[in-house]
Amino acid sequence: MADMNRRKFLKLGLSAGSLLALGGSSDIVTKVFGKQETHKKVLILGLDGMDPHLTDIWMSQGKLPAFARLRAKGDFRSLQTSIPPQSPVAWSNFITGMNPGGHGIFDFLKRDPQYYIPAFSGAETHDPSKTISIGNLVFPLSGGSYENLMRGRAFWQILEEYDIPATIFKMPSNFPPVETKQRTLSGMGTPDITGSVGEFNYYTTEVTELRQDIGGGAIHEVYVIGNRVEARLPGPDNTFKKNQPESSIDFKVFIDPVHPLAKIVIQDHEFILKEKEWSDWKKVRFPMIPTQSVGGICMFYLKEVRPEFKLYISPVNIDPADPAMPISTPDSYAKELAKKFGSFYTKGLPADFKAMTHGVLDEEEYLAQDDTVLKERIEMFEYELSRFDSGLLFYYVSSTDQRQHMFWRFIDKASPMYDPKLTLQYGDAIENIYKEADKILDMALKKADKDTLIMVMSDHGFTPFRRTFNVNTWLKENGHLRLINNWQQGQEEFFMNTDWSKTKAYSYGLNSLYINERGREGEGIINPGPEKEALVREIAQKLEQVTDPVTGEKVITNAYVTKDVYQSQHLDQAPDIVIGYNRGYRTAWSAPLGRVDKNVFDDNMDKWSGDHCMDPAVCPGILFTNQKIKAESPALYDLTPTILSLFGIEKPKEMIGKKIF
Amino acid sequence: MEMGKAKVKLEKDLLEKVKKYAEMSGYSSSEEFITHCLEKEIAKLEESDSEEEIKKKLKGLGYIS
Repeated sequence: MADMNRRKFLKLGLSAGSLLALGGSSDIVTKVFGKQETHKKVLILGLDGMDPHLTDIWMSQGKLPAFARLRAKGDFRSLQTSIPPQSPVAWSNFITGMNPGGHGIFDFLKRDPQYYIPAFSGAETHDPSKTISIGNLVFPLSGGSYENLMRGRAFWQILEEYDIPATIFKMPSNFPPVETKQRTLSGMGTPDITGSVGEFNYYTTEVTELRQDIGGGAIHEVYVIGNRVEARLPGPDNTFKKNQPESSIDFKVFIDPVHPLAKIVIQDHEFILKEKEWSDWKKVRFPMIPTQSVGGICMFYLKEVRPEFKLYISPVNIDPADPAMPISTPDSYAKELAKKFGSFYTKGLPADFKAMTHGVLDEEEYLAQDDTVLKERIEMFEYELSRFDSGLLFYYVSSTDQRQHMFWRFIDKASPMYDPKLTLQYGDAIENIYKEADKILDMALKKADKDTLIMVMSDHGFTPFRRTFNVNTWLKENGHLRLINNWQQGQEEFFMNTDWSKTKAYSYGLNSLYINERGREGEGIINPGPEKEALVREIAQKLEQVTDPVTGEKVITNAYVTKDVYQSQHLDQAPDIVIGYNRGYRTAWSAPLGRVDKNVFDDNMDKWSGDHCMDPAVCPGILFTNQKIKAESPALYDLTPTILSLFGIEKPKEMIGKKIF
Repeated sequence: MEMGKAKVKLEKDLLEKVKKYAEMSGYSSSEEFITHCLEKEIAKLEESDSEEEIKKKLKGLGYIS
């Protein structure tokens, strides 16, 4: 492939997330859509990642009284998740009542087959098509736009057609929020102000901690000179300037010479933090050109004053009072919440697990941050509950998922990251978040009257993540993938060292495997039709036979051939095989970005020790309702036609599920 | 078409389109429009740090490193 073409493509992809609304704000008038007063009310709690096995155990031990009450009154089932069981895919199944072949979200990551480059699958940014340059500045003449790539209709759009009001709080995969007059706030997939999943900034004098190119954050080396630190907070790319340089804000920290505290001065803020203290939300504005700036919100945490200086700044979230990107419908909904509650986390997955992975925040600091997230959520839930008197309310909690990812190592003695000492301290972190979920459910149960249908669901469950499997290395060892230079194996991402003329298959994303198909891939060699079909079957069969030489366990319980399991509408964009890993196994850390590691297997030595990107059969979600469930084995896409039917709406023909009652 | 000392030949149909869209987009002249288009394309080709930037953004996702 011509390197130039690939570069050009990469540069084009980079513009994603750089479209930002500037300045100004409008009056707050949130209109509630839906004139029809519905007798029936449907209240749905979406508790990301809540696992049926753990729920059952803690219910039976009397630790989850509200869940036990709901089960006694109604029902409890495991809920079939999506293939693959990744949050964007699973929530899209729920939102649209279809499977990935219908809604077109197949994995966290998709790839451009022409250039073999990965990208996030959920949303795309389109640059302004017309700009004008004056000197060093570039002005947009037409607005850019964001596109949610999930296809099909969201169930609240269908409710809208029938005049049934709905409030959808932080639904994952709903960024930018799909067009509707309903009240919606965008969820997982909502970026920070730089357009990325979340970039923290960490300022330290401790040289040994410095690492280059860490995902999810930047570590800045600073100097304390005369008890003073000068630093800069990076912001979004300045699209008003040629070559789009990164914007930034300078700030100063004045360290108390005696006491463990410091004064931080940034723009018009001046505040004092004690060591180990978090600030509240601070509004900042990144200057673009003299008349334009982009606003965001962030929190400061003074980790250490002496002997080393350590300051953490959270990813700069989109300010809900003045959103730089679309995060709600109507626009005024986010502003209304900000007016009532002040600033709040708008970023998709708010707790900063990358900061914990890199040792910037420890367990206690991470939990303190996550508690803030939870507190904000509960306050807003109380508010939405208090005004919920008709139609549907969906409410989402992220902490259940994030805590299980990070703290599983303390409930799994077989985890390579199990630490008996830390377990004494944090062994109950997951149990505690289940108890918090129970309190949230209790609030909902108290509000519900006889006309309220309550549904509590999760998108998937959880399993331990002990061993990693690099499918790209496995493909190489089995003759399906060829490197240009074998000595470079393990160094290159994006398959830069791959000889496509001799490569039959490759894997991007968490569970996706693609055939290097002629006519589809830029340098495809496998003919569509019988040749491809035979290869897909051969690889799927071989994958299902893989065993871990260390443990003797089967690694892949199901390799799903997508044409057998998906609807057909968007099958052309689907991976050819979805790999369903056994409990304890997951794709290697670097394989999703196209790296061919030296080892096929490794121990998972990351704090991220629980996961769900496995076989859907090993990590179903939960489903509780206050009515008896008739369906023996309900699935996420069954819930969508069920919700519609509760309001007397017929199942649309594109939906594949069945009513559960 | 003449721009400074350099001459660039354009097909008549393309030139007509350039004129039309330059005006529609609010450019003050066809030359300004063409200059802008070329600058934008060249900038794309010259930049090679994009790959690192994309990697950094994708790595923010908890599931990968």
